[in-house]
Amino acid sequence: MKQELYDLAERAIKIGKSSGADDCRVSIGGERFVEIGYRDRKPENIREASTKGLRVEIFVNKRYSSQSTSDLRPDSLKTFIGNAVASTKLLAEDPFRTLPDPKYYQGRATIDLKQYDPDYEKVSPESRHGFVKAIEESCLAKGGDKVISVTARCYDGHNEQLLMTSNGFDGYQEASVFYGAAQMTAKDEGDRRPAEYGAAVAMIRKDLPKPEDIGAEAAVRTLSLLGAKKLKTETLPIIIENRVVSDFGDGFMQAMFGRSIQQKQSFLADKRGQKVASQVMTFIDDPFIPGAMGSGIFDNEGMASRKRVMIDAGVLKEFYVDWYYSRKLGWEPTTGSPSNVILPPGKRSVKEIMKELGRGIFITGFIGGNSNSTTGDTSIGIVGQLFEKGEIVHPVSEMNIADNHLKIWQRLAEAANDPYPYSPVRVPSLVFTDVVVSGI
Amino acid sequence: MKKITRRDFIKSGATAAAAAMAIPTILSKGWYSFAQAEAAGYFEREFGITEVMCRKVLAEALAKGGDFADLFFEHTISNFLILEDGKVNRAASDVALGVGIRTVKGDQVGYGFTQDLSEKAMLAAASTAATIADAPGKEPAGKFVPLKTKNYYPVTTLFSSVPLDAKLPLVQSVNDKCFALSPSVIKVNVVFHDQQKRILVVTSDGTKAEDLQPKSYIAATVVAEKNGKRERSSWNYGGRQEFSYYTPALAEKLAKRTVDRALVLFDAIQPPAGEMPVVLGPGVSGVLLHEAIGHGMEADFNRKKISTYCTMLGKKVAEPFVTIIDDGTIPHLTGSINFDDEATPGQKTVLVDKGILTSYLHDKISAKFYAVKPTGNGRRESYQQYVIPRMRNTYMLAGKATPEEVIKTAAKGIYVEDVANGQVKIGEGDFAFYVSQGRMIENGKLGAPIKDVNIMGNGPKMLANIIMLANDFEFYEGGAGACGKGGQAAPCGFGQPSALVKSLTVGGVKG
Repeated sequence: MKQELYDLAERAIKIGKSSGADDCRVSIGGERFVEIGYRDRKPENIREASTKGLRVEIFVNKRYSSQSTSDLRPDSLKTFIGNAVASTKLLAEDPFRTLPDPKYYQGRATIDLKQYDPDYEKVSPESRHGFVKAIEESCLAKGGDKVISVTARCYDGHNEQLLMTSNGFDGYQEASVFYGAAQMTAKDEGDRRPAEYGAAVAMIRKDLPKPEDIGAEAAVRTLSLLGAKKLKTETLPIIIENRVVSDFGDGFMQAMFGRSIQQKQSFLADKRGQKVASQVMTFIDDPFIPGAMGSGIFDNEGMASRKRVMIDAGVLKEFYVDWYYSRKLGWEPTTGSPSNVILPPGKRSVKEIMKELGRGIFITGFIGGNSNSTTGDTSIGIVGQLFEKGEIVHPVSEMNIADNHLKIWQRLAEAANDPYPYSPVRVPSLVFTDVVVSGI
Repeated sequence: MKKITRRDFIKSGATAAAAAMAIPTILSKGWYSFAQAEAAGYFEREFGITEVMCRKVLAEALAKGGDFADLFFEHTISNFLILEDGKVNRAASDVALGVGIRTVKGDQVGYGFTQDLSEKAMLAAASTAATIADAPGKEPAGKFVPLKTKNYYPVTTLFSSVPLDAKLPLVQSVNDKCFALSPSVIKVNVVFHDQQKRILVVTSDGTKAEDLQPKSYIAATVVAEKNGKRERSSWNYGGRQEFSYYTPALAEKLAKRTVDRALVLFDAIQPPAGEMPVVLGPGVSGVLLHEAIGHGMEADFNRKKISTYCTMLGKKVAEPFVTIIDDGTIPHLTGSINFDDEATPGQKTVLVDKGILTSYLHDKISAKFYAVKPTGNGRRESYQQYVIPRMRNTYMLAGKATPEEVIKTAAKGIYVEDVANGQVKIGEGDFAFYVSQGRMIENGKLGAPIKDVNIMGNGPKMLANIIMLANDFEFYEGGAGACGKGGQAAPCGFGQPSALVKSLTVGGVKG
């Protein structure tokens, strides 16, 4: 389909230019996917399709708009882009809206990122059903008589993306994705029916764990929530489990974007070069990890990717600044699109850290909550386990943590040795001290 | 990264709306027959979709048996106008066109979709859907009878017929009014969104239903600065409204509400942590009703026995003065639907009647399981997804007390004025929601403003712990919100009177 995407992009740019646009940027994506869900040892749903969509950004008379459509019939596309160019001319002038200087397209890495599994086309319907059945069976077996319901799911897709600009950029990426998951609901005291999931996602099929492990993870995690209690409000150390660190860290990341800074909605705006976290916090944006979902040799605007140390031993070094906001701020652009988030792992396991901490909460999930990127205030519900002297005591429910991002990251005490592999946020479990955990 | 358990309600302010709209605008006129507001015949007229073709595709979907099959055609045009730094300098639009084909066998669903509305492509998608069944083929109905329903959001002027130069001054005026209201205002973002969604549902049992669903909102975000401190506030108005709804008076109201709310935050504190009485203010606090209670009453969760409400049908779940309704028939409200996405007419469903749980929210699959009629809650985000039970407009009826009496009875606790988002764990019933603005209640009166605090609780417990309702019922008038479930977003509305909950956990900063 690669040539088909190129032909379509070239046609869209030609229509844009002939309709009066000064410049255009076109992105086209196509995907073929299959999704299968199992429940009660039979398929609950099967979904399969191919999709294609086109987005064109129009720059005309220092004015800007972006349009997307899945109606790619030639006549429709011609009228769609022609009208879009005409309408864009009616907007207010914005001299900061241009395509990036082509010099930022230069220096693209030549690394093979291994994001497409060459065996993708060999995945058969039988192997998909076998994979998802194995997940379900494993979860049912491990969950035993506590099981109320188990849903198992698998998804695989092959996608292609093309980005092309009228000032000389084109970039094509092909990727595959494989996903397996189970969710179990268990019998608990009274009417409580705790549910948890186990899941993994990878770009190369062999990087997925065994389906039996995914099912067992869902069961073990669900059973660990039985008998949850609410504690009295207390100031405690917390360990945030690797797979949910991103849910908490998002509140911090939001303040690192050029838009937040230029729009005066960032608590980090004036903190470059300052210590915003403890020594433990080194945060690297690394787009060059083979097989990782956040990897790419160019970003969403076509600018060549770079590995960047965003925070170095607690000191804020860089922001995520795209081309537009770099011009508004008068700064050098970096990128507006984070790639893989890396925080170097520590040396000890969560279990070892728990032993030393005494009493604390191991947070395995969050509920609701939010973060204010202007002030840094955050408050979020937690799911997890009370531990004492290295041993799990019981799960906790209906509890919450509240803090400010400018303060809590200064109390980051340790990173465990378990970076999470199934996400672009490849961070280990993190330990924070002196956190108010509110309950009764 | 997919998450199975996440189920949250996002009330997008202008910022979130701008960020969420991944892509694109401004189709002031076009190549489709925009001037024709009537729904009937649209897909045949514009895309050549005939009954003969539909019957053939449905026959393919039932080629291996199955209980029934349906086709869901969609053509949606969404537009955004965005103001930043004083000028409407960005526009975006999106066109979604496609058909989803579903084959249902018991509680099993086969689903295929295509963006290509040719017969060949549709037959291929139908063939995918058919794989869920494994019996001799069935024939769909011989003819399709048009579904007739009331229209809860009649459109006299399509958004695509409203010229851009009529929309631009509206957006600009909100910005100008915000700056005029206070010298502390340093940044304003405004987003105007309009959408017209055309759908055609054709079912194998012989129903054909066409609709034109408008949706729109105007949202403002204000950043204010005072003594070196910054605060941000967002608000929006909208629903299934057409352009005439967006008057200069509404722009004024939006600007005033957004600025006033930003300014009050300079005096706001984070409340102490712990359990305390909570008064949920009228209108927007209905997010909590939606999260903590509504989701647990969606029938798919109960059919699978994973909702905490699955054993409570016919039982007392609240005090006798509590009645909760889910309703698709409120004119122009965000969650209203003339019929749902499997052609069941829009209707009003009483979930809790004077404290007794009387019904779940059903699609066709769960209705068959429970041997009841579908309640018109079968909804989907787009042609790319299959139907699941979803709320429409969920609300709690008013009580008899005055708001002052409710606050006085609470004595000491917090009063919730605005809620940013929430989430529930269906099986446990545990929920959390984020209070972006509220007040302390001290000595039975409203005290200092509060902000940015999470509230935790358990849905069934909270419902049982509603001890007083006021006579100040309001529907939430925003249009920017969307409910997320199973990876699908759907527009939902909500409302409630001031309600006193005996005790909830407030996630404050100190004990």
